[in-house]
Amino acid sequence: MAFYDGLFKALGLSDWCDGGASNAPMSMADLLAQNSGTDKEGAFFPFPSLDNLNESCSGIIQSRDVTKGIEDGFLAAKPALKTVLDPITQPLSWLLDGALWTFASVPWFIMIPILVAIAWFASRSVAVTVFVAFSIMLLGLVDHYDVAMQTLSIIFVCTGISVLLGVPIGIAMSKSDRLQKSVVPILDLLQTLPTFVYLIPLIFLFSVTESKLYGIAIILYAIVPVIRLTDLGIRLVDQDVIEAANAFGMNSRQKLVGVELPLALPNIMAGINQTIMMSLAMVVIASLVSAPGLGVNVLRGIRNLELGVGIVAGIGIVLLAVILDRVSKAALSRVDMTRVKH
Amino acid sequence: MTQEPKVRLRGLYKIFGNNDKGVLSHVKNGVGKEELLVEHGHVLGLQDINVDMQAGEITVVMGLSGSGKSTLIRHLNRLIEPTAGEILVDGEDVMQLSVDGLRGLRQTKMSMVFQKFALLPHRTVLQNTAMALAVRGSDEATQTAEAQKWLDRVGLSGFENHYPAQLSGGMQQRVGIARALTANTDIMLMDEAFSALDPLIRTDMQNLLLELQEELHKTIIFITHDLDEALKLADHLVILKDGAVVQQGEPQGILMNPSDPYIEDFVSDINRARVLRVKSVMEPLTGTEFAGDVDIRDNLESMIARSGGDTSLHYRVMDGDTPVGELHMRDLVKALVPRLSSSEA
Ligand SMILES: Nc1ncnc2c1ncn2[C@@H]1O[C@H](COP(=O)(O)OP(=O)(O)OP(=O)(O)O)[C@@H](O)[C@H]1O
Ligand SMILES: [Mg+2]
Repeated sequence: MAFYDGLFKALGLSDWCDGGASNAPMSMADLLAQNSGTDKEGAFFPFPSLDNLNESCSGIIQSRDVTKGIEDGFLAAKPALKTVLDPITQPLSWLLDGALWTFASVPWFIMIPILVAIAWFASRSVAVTVFVAFSIMLLGLVDHYDVAMQTLSIIFVCTGISVLLGVPIGIAMSKSDRLQKSVVPILDLLQTLPTFVYLIPLIFLFSVTESKLYGIAIILYAIVPVIRLTDLGIRLVDQDVIEAANAFGMNSRQKLVGVELPLALPNIMAGINQTIMMSLAMVVIASLVSAPGLGVNVLRGIRNLELGVGIVAGIGIVLLAVILDRVSKAALSRVDMTRVKH
Repeated sequence: MTQEPKVRLRGLYKIFGNNDKGVLSHVKNGVGKEELLVEHGHVLGLQDINVDMQAGEITVVMGLSGSGKSTLIRHLNRLIEPTAGEILVDGEDVMQLSVDGLRGLRQTKMSMVFQKFALLPHRTVLQNTAMALAVRGSDEATQTAEAQKWLDRVGLSGFENHYPAQLSGGMQQRVGIARALTANTDIMLMDEAFSALDPLIRTDMQNLLLELQEELHKTIIFITHDLDEALKLADHLVILKDGAVVQQGEPQGILMNPSDPYIEDFVSDINRARVLRVKSVMEPLTGTEFAGDVDIRDNLESMIARSGGDTSLHYRVMDGDTPVGELHMRDLVKALVPRLSSSEA
């Protein structure tokens, strides 16, 4: 005898209740509970959950019907979504595969000088450049060069795309309060969702063999700061200067290119720095869905309890993080320097 | 003046708020600034402004903080949209201009100098100065030549490749002025252009402006809250209070005949001997015996020095070579006392 029987009798719903019976498959937990013969009848006053109500009235759906419904809904929408999303996102796969291939096939004695040169031109700092060279050598020494390059190539592509998409979105947001009001909640959502949760709908939509799966996950996560800080940077531009630009008859393009973007650049660069760091964080987690790189070794360390493998990969990630952070920060401070004060 | 004014403001109203057109009728029915704010939640910026600004003259708009000076000057190039009224520049209604037309007006007819300089911090002094030309799309060589010319003229040769942050406030404002001059517009708008500078630099800049005006004859609209500055620069003085014009006219006239207690207060602190000129106190020429000739533009201070303080003397007033009137030292001394205290006595 279930707890809520009386309630449904009192409401005169007994007939309706006996009408439909749930046909959702039983979950593993339910099956186990049934087999062991223990019944949940013990509870004095059970919470009126769907499952508990269902015991008294089979016309009410069970919780597993809800999860099933969501799953079915998703699966039903999948073909339509795929026909739209697949072609749009396909170039991302090509880019990622291309970058991975390039980084892998360029021999180390060419690749390392190129990276060091990039570090130099971005930062113009001897200390930073030497540190970058040293770190890459160290990674190579413990045979982590290849995986580190895989991680780096994914970060390059994802950061690049984040900037290409994020800066225009940020500009548009700074120009329209309506747009800003509607985009900010989405950004908040993207930033507060636990990173694992991103992966769930993506796994449904794309197959795990496609690189765009992890590419999209990384971009969705990492694009947020560059959008936010572009918007903020442009809104913070000195209104007096904007007024002067207007008073001299600049059109909106001249104002954007000649005044707003240059003055917002330090903020935009700070956003790019964060975007890079967040791509790195996500590329490690994305190893769960087949993203290659250092994250795979970390995962191996966890799964197989290979402590050493995990720790070395972890240190490699820290090194990469420091490199990327130092170089982009040095570039940022160089941008600020053009506003010479001395 | 027979000549058509360069800029005319006709019945200009500005009310800040969402329903400015809706509450306009209240203002026209005499609702004041405070009442409008308390009862209707709107800020009265300007009310019924009628000012003619003559070509080649410096029109100074003066008033206390919050009296609507900045609001007024920003209407001329429509950085602020009026609630009602007409703005005519060279007889053309600025309100009728299209977006492109308005941009054209800002590029070729009006340039502006700002209280906080508003230079582009990421551009050099030369690039800042050439800004108006760059906006118009003229070629690099013209830009450099013109900008260089005006930088030299305001005394900034050698600083072309500095950044604004490397210059002092006075030098930055010189860049601001050079930038406006390089635009080569008939009309220059100056919103408290010298207020951020210390007194000595400020006097320098006022002299520079007068010197430039001597040769360029621009139509300058100059905003200030400083009466000394206003009297020094103004050909035509407009005094604003709570968004309305309380008196306008030739500055000496306003000083001699303030129409309002507000203005009497204003002018009571001024060094009248230095500001008032012979022209304002002279009488028509009737006498024949004079202690000497004086120029019509001399100020009263120099006359006191010249007469050695003797109030019984009379001078003949000359405009160039023609006698135009006579000056009694007794009148001069009376003019030194503001009307306010004389009426109390
Ligand atoms: N955007 C605005 N919204 C609402 N009220 C405004 C706005 N701009 C100006 N005002 C109001 O209009 C009035 C005049 O302001 P304005 O800036 O023209 O004064 P001002 O004479 O230039 O003063 P100051 O000498 O301090 O620069 C003030 O009461 C101000 O509060
Ligand atoms: Mg002001």
